[in-house]
Amino acid sequence: MEKVLTARIGKKDSRSIDTYLADGGYTGVKRVLTSGMTPEQVIEEVKKANVRGRGGAGFSAGVKWGFLPKDTKGKPIYLFCNADESEPGTFKDRLLMENDPHQLIEGMILASYAIRCRNAYIYIRGEFYDGARILERAIGEAYAKGYLGEKILGSRFSLDITVHRGAGAYICGEETGLIESIEGKRGQPRIKPPFPAVSGAFAAPTIVNNVETLCCVKHVIDRGAEWFLKIGRNEKNAGPKLFCISGHVNRPGVYEAAMGLPLKDLIFGAEYAQGMKGGKKIKAVIPGGASAPMLTAAEIDDCPLDFDGVAAKGSMLGSAAIVVINEDACIVDVAKNLSKFFSHESCGQCTPCREGTPWLYKVLTRIEAGQGRMEDIDLLARICNQMANGMTICVFADAAIAPPLSSVTKFRAEYEHHVTQKRCLVGARAAELVTV
Amino acid sequence: MSHTRYRVMEAGEARRFPPEAMARIEKILTRYPTKQAALLPVLWVAQETWGWISKEAGEEVARVLDLPPSHVDGVLTFYTMYNLRPVGKHLLQVCTSISCHLNGAESLLERCGKRLGIGLEETTADGKFTLVEVECIAGCDRAPSMMVNDQYFEPMDAGKLDALLDRLSREA
Amino acid sequence: MSSTPVAPPPSAPPPAPPPKDTFTVSFDGKAIEVPKNLNLIDAAKLAGVDIPHFCYHPRLSVVGQCRMCLVEIEGMPKIQAACTVPLKDGLSVKTTTDKVKNARAATMEFLLINHPLDCPICDQAGECTLQDNSFGYGNQLSRFDEAKRQYPTFDRTMIGPHVVADMTRCIQCTRCIRFTHEIAGTSELTFLDRGGRTLVWTHEGQPLANDWSGCAADVCPVGALTTREFRFRSRVWYLQKTPSVCPGCNVGCNISIESRDDVVYRFLPRLNPTVNDYWLCDYGRFLSEPLNDRDVHKATVREGSAVREATVPAAVDRIAREIRSSLEGKGPGAVFFLGSAHLSNEENFLLRKIADHVGSPNRDAIVDKSRPRKVKSKTVWVEGDDAGANHQGAKDMGLSPGAGGHGLDAVIAGKASPEVILIADAAFSAIADDPEKVAALRRARFLAVAARNANALTRAADVVLPAASLAEKEGTFTNVQGRVQKFDRAFLPKPPIRAAWEHLLLLALALGFGDRSWTPHDLLRQIAAEVPDYAGIKEEELEGGRLLKKGDFAWAGRP
Ligand SMILES: Cc1cc2nc3c(=O)[nH]c(=O)nc-3n(C[C@H](O)[C@H](O)[C@H](O)COP(=O)(O)O)c2cc1C
Ligand code: SF4
Ligand code: SF4
Ligand code: FES
Ligand code: FES
Repeated sequence: MEKVLTARIGKKDSRSIDTYLADGGYTGVKRVLTSGMTPEQVIEEVKKANVRGRGGAGFSAGVKWGFLPKDTKGKPIYLFCNADESEPGTFKDRLLMENDPHQLIEGMILASYAIRCRNAYIYIRGEFYDGARILERAIGEAYAKGYLGEKILGSRFSLDITVHRGAGAYICGEETGLIESIEGKRGQPRIKPPFPAVSGAFAAPTIVNNVETLCCVKHVIDRGAEWFLKIGRNEKNAGPKLFCISGHVNRPGVYEAAMGLPLKDLIFGAEYAQGMKGGKKIKAVIPGGASAPMLTAAEIDDCPLDFDGVAAKGSMLGSAAIVVINEDACIVDVAKNLSKFFSHESCGQCTPCREGTPWLYKVLTRIEAGQGRMEDIDLLARICNQMANGMTICVFADAAIAPPLSSVTKFRAEYEHHVTQKRCLVGARAAELVTV
Repeated sequence: MSHTRYRVMEAGEARRFPPEAMARIEKILTRYPTKQAALLPVLWVAQETWGWISKEAGEEVARVLDLPPSHVDGVLTFYTMYNLRPVGKHLLQVCTSISCHLNGAESLLERCGKRLGIGLEETTADGKFTLVEVECIAGCDRAPSMMVNDQYFEPMDAGKLDALLDRLSREA
Repeated sequence: MSSTPVAPPPSAPPPAPPPKDTFTVSFDGKAIEVPKNLNLIDAAKLAGVDIPHFCYHPRLSVVGQCRMCLVEIEGMPKIQAACTVPLKDGLSVKTTTDKVKNARAATMEFLLINHPLDCPICDQAGECTLQDNSFGYGNQLSRFDEAKRQYPTFDRTMIGPHVVADMTRCIQCTRCIRFTHEIAGTSELTFLDRGGRTLVWTHEGQPLANDWSGCAADVCPVGALTTREFRFRSRVWYLQKTPSVCPGCNVGCNISIESRDDVVYRFLPRLNPTVNDYWLCDYGRFLSEPLNDRDVHKATVREGSAVREATVPAAVDRIAREIRSSLEGKGPGAVFFLGSAHLSNEENFLLRKIADHVGSPNRDAIVDKSRPRKVKSKTVWVEGDDAGANHQGAKDMGLSPGAGGHGLDAVIAGKASPEVILIADAAFSAIADDPEKVAALRRARFLAVAARNANALTRAADVVLPAASLAEKEGTFTNVQGRVQKFDRAFLPKPPIRAAWEHLLLLALALGFGDRSWTPHDLLRQIAAEVPDYAGIKEEELEGGRLLKKGDFAWAGRP
């Protein structure tokens, strides 16, 4: 597939507005603002393209925009670009922002025009100091050239974009946690309904979209929904997509391909990750970031990497973060590591999540250390089942149970070995496998 | 995993934002519909001004934004990047999340600690280094990944780590 | 306007039914009509269905955090937190399915794994929602082999002048935090840290010190916040609860006097949406302590320079004798009667009847002004600044100088010189402990007072009667809103102590009127018959207090 989202990445000065303009950048904005294309028409086009959210949930951006009230009763509408990118295994938005900031800015201008937003924000995770500086500079350039600010390109449309830095909290990637955070609060997700499109930041209608989603919007406006829909396995799973692959592969990185790229191709393909490091066998693959249930080696056959394809395997595409784990790694240790993450990142307001995430981590730590009992294995599954499916305010808890529950279910023998033999089936913890 | 963040509000010296910081804050305030919304950015200004956020610095932030100091405490302790204690000149942040873990993050962390003679959340006696463990910093394809202050260093290995620590130690 | 009825044309559609102001909601198959603005948890209560909960509080914002109130809603595949489900017509709620039972048991298990279970030494035991819900909705606990979470430096710590925190017991429901944000408006409390390390605390140097800080302990469903004053004093199940009214000021917060073996242990707010709602100010709350103080146990009579103990009837007889002799010598104007803002309507009424009986226009009731006190009703703040609960009632009962009569000011200023002064409450004002003012009163030939505690006035008096405390009597007060509120007796005073109304009834009988069998109930009936604004008031209606139909009360607004 021709590169779309990453087409300019690697080019000289890809961050500067001059090269962006030279590559045909901002023509979409020019066309929309000068041709009299209405906001509704932009929404319609994005709806038609069925741009499913790239942040994790896969919800159609156009449909979400359509939820905005027609009459906002004098309230502004906000657009927040979700650049919190904190799902372990995910590093695609960082690449987009650091290398082609104007692509995102153009996507945000178009989205803001469509939803009639006057003030847009980029919520970027605190660790992306470079990303934030690069965006600030690019935004400055866009103001200077008249693509941002008052009456853009002489039209009646005005827009300000502000870069808002997070400060270390994964939960602020959840859209209502993000909204709370922008309001200057602890990033504790809100009860829904009301949904942000109806009442979000500052009690005003708010749209939250992922970086990659907004970049896709730019290309949909440039090239049309028809074009977008033709890329990918089917119209429900369409468009160019970035896949992050890491773990025990030869060439980890971000790869752009059509939605629906077979998982096996991504792992073994010559233009992708080029197979397993040291030729080891695959034990497990996490297909969608830490929140996605693990797949066994057998399950990765004929698994198209798109929303419905991975869902059919009982997991999820999530943020398209593929973590490949080889046969030498201890699955209990992997689950423990992932549980440590969730235990550290739970916001703590819901009882099952606040209490359940550290509990899972403690039990896994005990089993991994050879101090587990047989009942602990069922206990893990029971704790997990008590945390999910409506037990909490946000789906963080549903995500947190994915690693222990999927690994206990799919790799039970390894857990049992830990318990009965008081040591690891594979002989070593992942931590001890690789030394730097 | 970072240690508990509630032993907070270490007392420091009395704090007032210097004029340059106030000027930045004024500018920040123009970007938001409420003063409270500027809390995270203003806390960043405080951290950049003083290196860490003491009880008094938190009170100063509360003052300029008209917020209850308790609210500022609640926010400060929720987010892990605000330093609640003084940190060394070089804040070493080693990722131990899954992809880095699979690629030797623990041994990297251990090596760091051994070389500097400090444990997690500790600062060397000369005040040069503080070592912390962090969750995934979106450098998983270049695992193991780490940051020193605002710069990424990835992928790391023993040689690169030693060279880095040597270079930083030599710096004034 | 024409009065001819107009027949509807035959084809007219039937008139639309008036829009409903209720929703039909069913709980476990039983449909009921509920007001539209209710929370589902309260709607369930109307249907007699108990939905267990921790974080939900009817007067605080809904946060849906504790996840205890889980129910199934028809048409929704996932379990729902009842407190967060908007009420709507046709909602069908299930609270007894296995799914619901298991979900609630799950939340209980999560709450208990890190809870210290130190009930034997916890003040909350017996009124702990965690205990109750654990009995009602928990399962047998699974093994929890991990180390329990502890907050070592955040236990048994005063976080304000009255409130003690034991964070190890906290279930992170945020009720206390929301109380300080949303009701007190002082925001002293916050969550610190996050996840399993979350705890509630204050900013150092800004303790939980607002005027209602005790309410933070009230809203805490567990023993994480308790009051210093009550700590370790009594197991709550030994406490008897008596509905009463706070004696602190003229807001007249409804309270429960909690006592045992004739000792008052604490006041708790008693729900009255129109007055104090769920709240109580600290000043009033901790008046429970001084309520047990007493140094007047017996009646005393001065004879010459000696003060001797006497029986109450003998002491009252002495007062009656002195009154009669003054009346005979100097006429009715020689007797002065002083009521009190601390006495009930019934007591002040009886005092006024005595004054009427002897024909004296010299009667009064004054009140000291206090720092303004306020408390939030369901809708508005109610404010008062009287240092007594019933000045309004005392005035209503007629305790102000009659035609040609004198008030207390005139007596103290020496513009009037009554021979006999009867003061029905020795604690009526700070005046009673002011030597100069007391000396002015002492100019009377004879000075009689009823008292619980000694002060300059009792030391100067010729007769002192031992008077019951608020806990030891019943009656009504009229608050700043003009609301007549009833208080009950928690326990009997130790003989020979009696309520002021009993002293006054003895005096009335000695002066030749009244009926030995009168009780405060009879006196209230007389008030209803005789006092214009109180016309028709019935004791049975006084649950929650009855607002008098008066337009002249100055207060923040009417609910
Ligand atoms: C725990 C949690 C963390 C999330 N983190 C992110 C994130 O870092 N970046 C992101 O774009 N979306 C994240 N999401 C998804 C957002 O809630 C939201 O669905 C998304 O930003 C919407 O944008 P999209 O429709 O363009 O994908 C997260 C969701 C959850 C539940
Ligand atoms: S599920 Fe976890 S992360 Fe989400 S709101 Fe509840 S406690 Fe916070
Ligand atoms: S202290 Fe009590 S009221 Fe406050 S959060 Fe904890 S349990 Fe809830
Ligand atoms: S796992 Fe270490 S950077 Fe992502
Ligand atoms: S009462 Fe509903 S979640 Fe707490």
